[in-house]
Amino acid sequence: MRDFRLRVCYRKAGRLRFLSHLEVVHALERAVRRAKLPYSVTKGFSPHMKIAFGPALPVGTAGEREYVDVFLSGYTEPEEALHRLVKASPEDLAPVEARYVAEREPALAAAATIAYYEVRIEGEGLTEQEVRSALERVVARGELSVEHKGKTKVFDLPHSLPKEPCVRSSSGGIVVELVVRMGQQGSLRPDALLTAAFDPATRPGVVATTTRRDTLIESDEGVWSRPL
Amino acid sequence: MTRTSVWPQVEPLLTRVERPSRYLDREWGARHRDDASYRAVLVYPDTYEIGQANQALQILYAILNEIDDVGAERAYVPWIDMSAEMRAEGIPLFALESAAPIRDFDLVGFTLPYEMTYTNILEALDLAGIPLRAAERGDSDPLVIAGGPCAFNPEPVAAFFDAVVIGEADEAIVDFVRTHRAAIAAGLDRNATLVELAQVAGVYVPSLYDVCRDADGGFAGVSAEDPAPAVVVKRVVSDLGEQRPSSCPVVPFMDVVHDRLAMEVLRGCTRGCRFCQAGMIYRPVRERSADEVVREVMAGLACTGYDEVSLTSLSSTDHSQIEEILRRLKRRLSEGGVSVSLPSLRVDSFGVDMARLVAAGKKSGLTFAPEAGTQRLRDVINKNVTEEDLLTTVRRAFEAGWRRVKLYLMIGLPTETDDDVRGIGDLVQAVLGEARSATPADARGSVRVAVSVSTFVPKAHTPFQWEPQIPLDEVVRRQELLRSVVPRKGVDLSWHDAEVSFLEGAFARGGRELADVIEAAWRGGARFDAWTEQFDPRRWLGAFESCGVDPAAIASRMRTLGEPLPWGHISSGVSQAYLSRERERALTGTPTPDCSFDGCTGCDVCGDLGVTVLLGGDRRA
Repeated sequence: MRDFRLRVCYRKAGRLRFLSHLEVVHALERAVRRAKLPYSVTKGFSPHMKIAFGPALPVGTAGEREYVDVFLSGYTEPEEALHRLVKASPEDLAPVEARYVAEREPALAAAATIAYYEVRIEGEGLTEQEVRSALERVVARGELSVEHKGKTKVFDLPHSLPKEPCVRSSSGGIVVELVVRMGQQGSLRPDALLTAAFDPATRPGVVATTTRRDTLIESDEGVWSRPL
Repeated sequence: MTRTSVWPQVEPLLTRVERPSRYLDREWGARHRDDASYRAVLVYPDTYEIGQANQALQILYAILNEIDDVGAERAYVPWIDMSAEMRAEGIPLFALESAAPIRDFDLVGFTLPYEMTYTNILEALDLAGIPLRAAERGDSDPLVIAGGPCAFNPEPVAAFFDAVVIGEADEAIVDFVRTHRAAIAAGLDRNATLVELAQVAGVYVPSLYDVCRDADGGFAGVSAEDPAPAVVVKRVVSDLGEQRPSSCPVVPFMDVVHDRLAMEVLRGCTRGCRFCQAGMIYRPVRERSADEVVREVMAGLACTGYDEVSLTSLSSTDHSQIEEILRRLKRRLSEGGVSVSLPSLRVDSFGVDMARLVAAGKKSGLTFAPEAGTQRLRDVINKNVTEEDLLTTVRRAFEAGWRRVKLYLMIGLPTETDDDVRGIGDLVQAVLGEARSATPADARGSVRVAVSVSTFVPKAHTPFQWEPQIPLDEVVRRQELLRSVVPRKGVDLSWHDAEVSFLEGAFARGGRELADVIEAAWRGGARFDAWTEQFDPRRWLGAFESCGVDPAAIASRMRTLGEPLPWGHISSGVSQAYLSRERERALTGTPTPDCSFDGCTGCDVCGDLGVTVLLGGDRRA
């Protein structure tokens, strides 16, 4: 029997940005059950909810438009499903939009490869221009190796950064807007890029908060579109 | 009292510590009653992931938050990285919901789940900026109280608490809070407040009890100051159905231990195992009806969104309606991938039948507790299970498709000889043989028997409360003997650390002299002692030595039946006459039946405490 594929856009905000991806997965599965949506269950010895998440967010990173596909065995009006999910979710991990998508659409985890980040930087007397120059210098290297959990990953920066970073001042700090192309082999973390951009000796700025504003699907033709 | 959130100072630390979800709050079911005038915080003396699912605290959290103008919050002991950051920044221990320092609450209530958490009580109090000892606290400090299983011998930690609730706190905590609020309203000072609280049934106020000494300076009992009662008798609720508020439990974000809906199906166990403290202190048996259990499981799953429910108690398969409950739940939960689990099983085919009912497809493993290796010793401890029972049960389980069993056993039980230890080897061999022969030949390679062996620790309020614990070197010798007789192939043998058992033994039956030892150990760096990688026996031995206390004299000394015991002023309702009679029967290998199946065995709980065995139907022998 075919399922109804409900795509839900949710936020991970406030203090709940400190949740890990696995914690977000469990929390949303529980919210789906609390909302009493007619979710589909996998077959086999250990049946579990059919649900598929978009690219993971690291601990500490907030997300304004994160995506998950929930497979339902029965049709529920999207507005009704959204309303029930919102009522069953904590405010800082709440769905904001829900709509059905076609079953032939590719899986979110593989297709959603473009991420828009907003990084807030704090630093005594740090200027927009200093941040811009620091970023230009690191991007000019062409390649960046990042160590994470004992592994070294090398990122091809022109590929990983399809758009030029934008730097602007905002109340009490500096905001960097980055567009990152994510890959199956790992994705460039904005905080890693900015840490590399700043001179480790003087450390003129530190990353205060990172927010993923949205994730987009990049088609084979190179066209970017929102999953919802 | 003003209570200010320290969250703005806490939040920046979270990028630098492991597992920040320990400190976040905002879980589904967390209650925020910041406007309440009386504020209590319930503290589990270990990390969030260990304590969050504690059922007693979940119940008390719900009960307190139902009281008008009372708000209850939660606190756990921050992991070592977080406490170091907090100390460096001058941030005191805070409650999760309001992020207010716990020292600004009216009531700080610790549960005492296990002796090896005692140093964490001091760690929490110190981090909170609350004086460690009740005697050092003043009118501006909160009342610091405790409860839980270890409260039945409160003496080792009595100096740290203003009051201790003995027994079930479901009703006692309400009485306690009512009395405390009245004292606050009347403007009573700390001492006058404690005198009022000492008159609440089940409340022990250690400062109103003095240790008496005989002519040689030996312990001669504890005497109460007027108007505190000479003996504090445990509280017990008569009907569980009336107790539980309908609010939803807190659903953690973090992957915690027991991360599932827990539904208490009954309280108490009267199988009468003579080593078992839980079986003595939680009497009598009180079952909740099948209708109530099914209704609350469905409501609990709906409000939490859990995909698993555990039917908890000391012996859930003894519930007279367990089969009906499991069948009804299975029918209602057949769709949706929600599973039911039972924490432990009786050693008989009915136990396996019940496991089959809930197992659906997955058959991860079954756990049985024969406890001892020979029939003689099982008769001594009143574990009314025969080798034939066990082997029949194992056969049935492996025929039904299980490939793993876990056996709980003990060494060091009273009267144990080397033959009994070798008997464990024989029993494991027989179980393994039975399991293999019941398994199709092509699947025999996957047959595993896990054997978990702990060292017997005599506990207060049990028939073995007078018995010596076997000394440390003897534990090591018997463990080596056991290792030589337990088959290797197909068996996973694990131990409880001998040194930990030895310390548990000292705390289980020690007196007030241990407060200095606990404080010295904590000052020497001991905390999170229940975590194997944090536990260092040298810190403890040094602490005992510096305080002039010999732990072996507490743990491994034979007591005479008439001698005063440090917990003599605390009563579980089970009479000393019953305990000494059971000890006699143990030494002659005479079994005692279970009063929830057969007639009364005269433990004196029901008459004296005004409660009775409450069953939903006839129990199945």
